[in-house]
Amino acid sequence: MAVRGCEHFQLFKESSSNMKTLRWLHAVFVVGSNFRYRQNKVINSFCHTCKNRGPYVHACLDCVYFGCHTHIREHNKEEIHNFSLELTYGQLHCTSCGDYVYDSALDKISSKNRMKCGTFKKRLFECISWSPSEEEKEMLSHRSKKMCITPESTIGLRGLINLGATCFMNSIVQALMHTPLLRDYFISKQHSCGAPSGSCLTCEISKLFQEFYNGNRIPLALNSLLHLIWTHATHLSGFKQQDAHEFLIATLNLLHQHCSATMAQPSHGHMNGKCSCIVHQIFTGSLQSDVVCQNCHGVSTTIDPSWDFSLDLGPETEGGRSPCSLVDCLERFTKAEYLGSNAKIMCETCESKQESTKQFKIKTLPIVISFHLKRFEHFKKAETKISTAISFPEMLDMSPFMSKRKKDTFFPSDYRYSLFAVINHTGNSLNQGHYTAFVRQQHNFWYECNDEVITRANLDEVLNSEGYILFYHKQILEYE
Amino acid sequence: MPQEYDARVNLHLNVNNGLEQVAELVHTRLVESGWKDQVQLACRKAIVESGDKVPTVDELIATITPKARALVPDAVKRELYHEIELILLNLEKIGYAKSFEDV
Repeated sequence: MAVRGCEHFQLFKESSSNMKTLRWLHAVFVVGSNFRYRQNKVINSFCHTCKNRGPYVHACLDCVYFGCHTHIREHNKEEIHNFSLELTYGQLHCTSCGDYVYDSALDKISSKNRMKCGTFKKRLFECISWSPSEEEKEMLSHRSKKMCITPESTIGLRGLINLGATCFMNSIVQALMHTPLLRDYFISKQHSCGAPSGSCLTCEISKLFQEFYNGNRIPLALNSLLHLIWTHATHLSGFKQQDAHEFLIATLNLLHQHCSATMAQPSHGHMNGKCSCIVHQIFTGSLQSDVVCQNCHGVSTTIDPSWDFSLDLGPETEGGRSPCSLVDCLERFTKAEYLGSNAKIMCETCESKQESTKQFKIKTLPIVISFHLKRFEHFKKAETKISTAISFPEMLDMSPFMSKRKKDTFFPSDYRYSLFAVINHTGNSLNQGHYTAFVRQQHNFWYECNDEVITRANLDEVLNSEGYILFYHKQILEYE
Repeated sequence: MPQEYDARVNLHLNVNNGLEQVAELVHTRLVESGWKDQVQLACRKAIVESGDKVPTVDELIATITPKARALVPDAVKRELYHEIELILLNLEKIGYAKSFEDV
């Protein structure tokens, strides 16, 4: 389609009889608004040259000619008739431009005709109708409160009260609450279990989602969530400040456990080694590690599931260059690493211990990737924080870091990811300081969540923040 | 009318919107199976690879069609085949009730 509008069509539009023809053709042959029109369409829409019903039957706008893809083009050229209308979707082809053209006038005609159309046609509307079940109708009649979502609406944003150094939890919860797929899963109430209240973390998170998206604006206190975490992940209990990353891992693990324990058995199986619980569906990818023997160059490959990417930030070698962007970190992560002469590994081909290199490659990527920047370093029992600035992009293409397939298929996989949450840490060490979170809401609005205070932020602020944990969401979801 | 189309087939297309029904069915299945998204990605790739010169729709159709055809899931093909078979079988029966769905 031409980038700018078609000048030929502008001329064509000026004559009202032209437009009348176009409107009529569209109503009869594209939409088939009523029975008589549809009859007409069935009888007449075939190629006048080859008598076939396709592919892509077009109607000439200058004379009574119908033709299939090849014949209409020939016809238009020979007779110098400029326009033809495609009859399946109603696209207009301009011979002078040599391509299909777009015009708002045509759009108006088609939307008007579609509205008048007696039967509903999916291809014309490109959406799926929803016929509510009796139960849903019942529920709808009880719910009379309407909420209108505008760019200004704050639905989905809730402050979280700090219960005494629980900002690590608050910031992670904010990020989880704004994970699109997780939100869809919990809001549609996919999880139901019979466990007594207060024992299932998944139920607790489910409740939280309901709280976040019910339109209320009073800050929440996550005491019951904290209690659950304390009882199930004892290493996180106590009133001390904890590592947000550890909390994230513990939460995901618990979610998985509680999902597995309470979900109905048949629907919860292991599909090709991948757990079917929601956490694993969203957060698990797999890493391929290739160990190459330096003696015989034999490769031994192992594939391990991965939850997140922990990326080193320190200089690579003594005095070497430190990475300064996320892509740098990832390159380093996937680079072949020499294991050293002290760490010899048994090579099966050589049947002896040999020096080798090890390289990580990403085999499959999860839908949500979390990058954990290792900002805390344990050095001689003292903890230091690495505050190197690491730049990270809003859109990330992971294709360079994927393990290469044998053949590059024609239909490519898509590895583009977009940023949707960033956790930041201020302060000098792991056990002090403060965590805040940036979250994306309604596609392109950013908010900073600092315990119970939520302020609007812009993308630059987010991208210029230090970054401790970065959350990326896959842009195009594939089918399985 | 095209010679290949038997009068009765035409009657069916005519009275019951048979053609439309089948077309809608195929359309729905192709969206559901993810075929549409795959083809979209392939088109995107083709456009990106063609560089500065943006291909016309006709050129895109010419490059993508053979590959896209091969990509149609077998299950969809089977279902379509079955559906058409059903239509033709119903045509053989009787003088063709107004709605063949309840035959």
